[in-house]
Amino acid sequence: MTAVLVIEDDDRIRLSLVLALEAEGYEARGAATAEEGLALQRRDAADAVLVDLMLPGIDGFECIRELRRDDDVPILVVSARDDTHDVVAALEAGADDYVVKPVAIPELSARLRALRRRLRASVPAIPRYVFGDLEIRPDAGEVSVGGEPVALTRTEFRLLCELAEHAGRILSRQQLLQRVWDYDGGDERLVDVHVGRLRQKIEKDSAQPQHLVTVRGMGYKLQR
Amino acid sequence: MKPAGLRARVTGGFTVGALLLSASMAVVSYQLIRTSLLDERERASVRAAYFNATVVRSGLSAADPDVAEMLRSLETGGDRRTVVRWDGSWYARTADQGITEAIPAGVQDLVAGGTPAVQRVRVDGHPAVVVAVPLTPSAAFYEIDSLRELDQTFRTLALVLASVAIMVACGGAALGWYATRYVLRPLTSVARAAEDIAAGKVKTRLDPAAEPDLARLTTSFNRMVDELAERLERDRRFAADVSHELRSPLQTLSAAISVLAARREHLDTRTAAAAELITDEVNRFQKLVQDLLELARGDQPAARSGVDVAELARRVCRGRGVDEDIVDTDGATGTVWYVDRRRVEQILANLVENAARYGGGATAIRLSRAPGHHVLEVDDSGPGVSPQDKKAIFHRFVRGRAANARHGDGTGLGLAIVAQHAAAHGGRACVLDRPGGGARFRVELPEDTP
Repeated sequence: MTAVLVIEDDDRIRLSLVLALEAEGYEARGAATAEEGLALQRRDAADAVLVDLMLPGIDGFECIRELRRDDDVPILVVSARDDTHDVVAALEAGADDYVVKPVAIPELSARLRALRRRLRASVPAIPRYVFGDLEIRPDAGEVSVGGEPVALTRTEFRLLCELAEHAGRILSRQQLLQRVWDYDGGDERLVDVHVGRLRQKIEKDSAQPQHLVTVRGMGYKLQR
Repeated sequence: MKPAGLRARVTGGFTVGALLLSASMAVVSYQLIRTSLLDERERASVRAAYFNATVVRSGLSAADPDVAEMLRSLETGGDRRTVVRWDGSWYARTADQGITEAIPAGVQDLVAGGTPAVQRVRVDGHPAVVVAVPLTPSAAFYEIDSLRELDQTFRTLALVLASVAIMVACGGAALGWYATRYVLRPLTSVARAAEDIAAGKVKTRLDPAAEPDLARLTTSFNRMVDELAERLERDRRFAADVSHELRSPLQTLSAAISVLAARREHLDTRTAAAAELITDEVNRFQKLVQDLLELARGDQPAARSGVDVAELARRVCRGRGVDEDIVDTDGATGTVWYVDRRRVEQILANLVENAARYGGGATAIRLSRAPGHHVLEVDDSGPGVSPQDKKAIFHRFVRGRAANARHGDGTGLGLAIVAQHAAAHGGRACVLDRPGGGARFRVELPEDTP
């Protein structure tokens, strides 16, 4: 059974989400503050975390960073805020996906399933890709730059593998959303922010990327 | 009629003022110069005439004088002609025959009475001065001095003065144009600041130190912008608060009804029916809130990127159980448009849902091109839209006559959002009659490039 942690300060929303997720067959648990949620996650890690952004004490963004520091558990933001600013900040903090309240439970469930699928996604048959100083071993789930291992989240890793598999070819944001996030149509900011995060980890100068380049108006491609 | 601009008026004023001033100066100078030159010339003529008269008088005192020969010996130059009347006869040089007609009768009478006279006359169309000097009771000396050369000088002078007056007037015009440019320059910066603010740069302010003479304008302008920015910020915060306050309880409701739906088989019929009602209403309410929030933030500019609109249309169809083959791109030169993906997706979704709700379902989604515009059309085969409703259905909460209680699940905001999204692109939305019956919703979006 999939365990989901709901970090949400509004008692009614937390209770209703826990009840609804349980009705969908998840093992749901709630936390009213980021501190409580982080403690719960460290004691007994859930398979996915839903986080609200406006939390008392440690806020949602900081909570996401803390969670990300510990491991690469899928993090889904559920917030009433839909400014681009908030969406991008949450994704940059390390969230995998972002939904705006009110989200219908079937939709939420579909997003969680997509996040979980990504964890189990079959990796390409090719054991090793080399792009200059960048080396990717899909089967081992390892990435290194200049021999130094780099820690990627699973979403970032899937994104990199997808681009590596189509090395030298352009993938549009919509194609990447479909292949990496498993969404038929969705928020392209997800792709942009994840590409940005990926660049910071694999490029020497993320402002002037050598490997993961933007093709204006078209999408992204990975090159040697 | 459009009133003349400040600049044109100031320039006109400068021109007229300069022209009046320079013209009156020219007229006055012309008069002064003319009078003084004429007087001078007249005095010279009189002096010369008296001198000649003295010579003639002494000649006449001799016995049997040859008057014509005497006149010929006078030093007269080219411009002076001399005539003598002696004992009732006229004497003149051969070249000067006939000049006597130019001597006015009044002058002859005066001289006959023993009084010298000076008068200006015209000879052969040119001005001249007649000086008459009585010699003896029976003799008089007349000298006619042509002012032709002087007249020429006056003409040249008038021409020069007129040209100067016109040049001064032109100078005035240029000065007015130049001066207003300087006067209006600070206003140009005000205009530019206002344009920036209208374009959304609400942090734009004027520097009050830049133009001390306009200090009052700049300070009140800045105060106005401050207040405007504050009000915008207040509105934005209010909208964000309302949005948050509405979304949170909706999230609880949405989650709670999904629990009810999942446990339907555990409910008795009446409870299940009640739960169904709540579910429907919550879904509708949720849609209503989303549409209202969408309209509330509709003044944000379109976030454009290259979007494959045909693919987007097919996906909208797939998501709503509509056959995706109705998407027709024959009229389009390309289906990748530079538009706001979210807004265009919502336009398509709302039009397809509108067709399903009131028009028996969409029969075609056509992407084509008109000069300067991308065109997107959604056809249905329903009853169409009556002429008096064609404009109104794009207003908020207005449903056409075709909509009745049966279609209670719409929010009445779908087409208003379509119109607003079209406007955000600088385009427009309208409804036409589809040939063969039904409605044709048409959205035009101006072409743009990255």
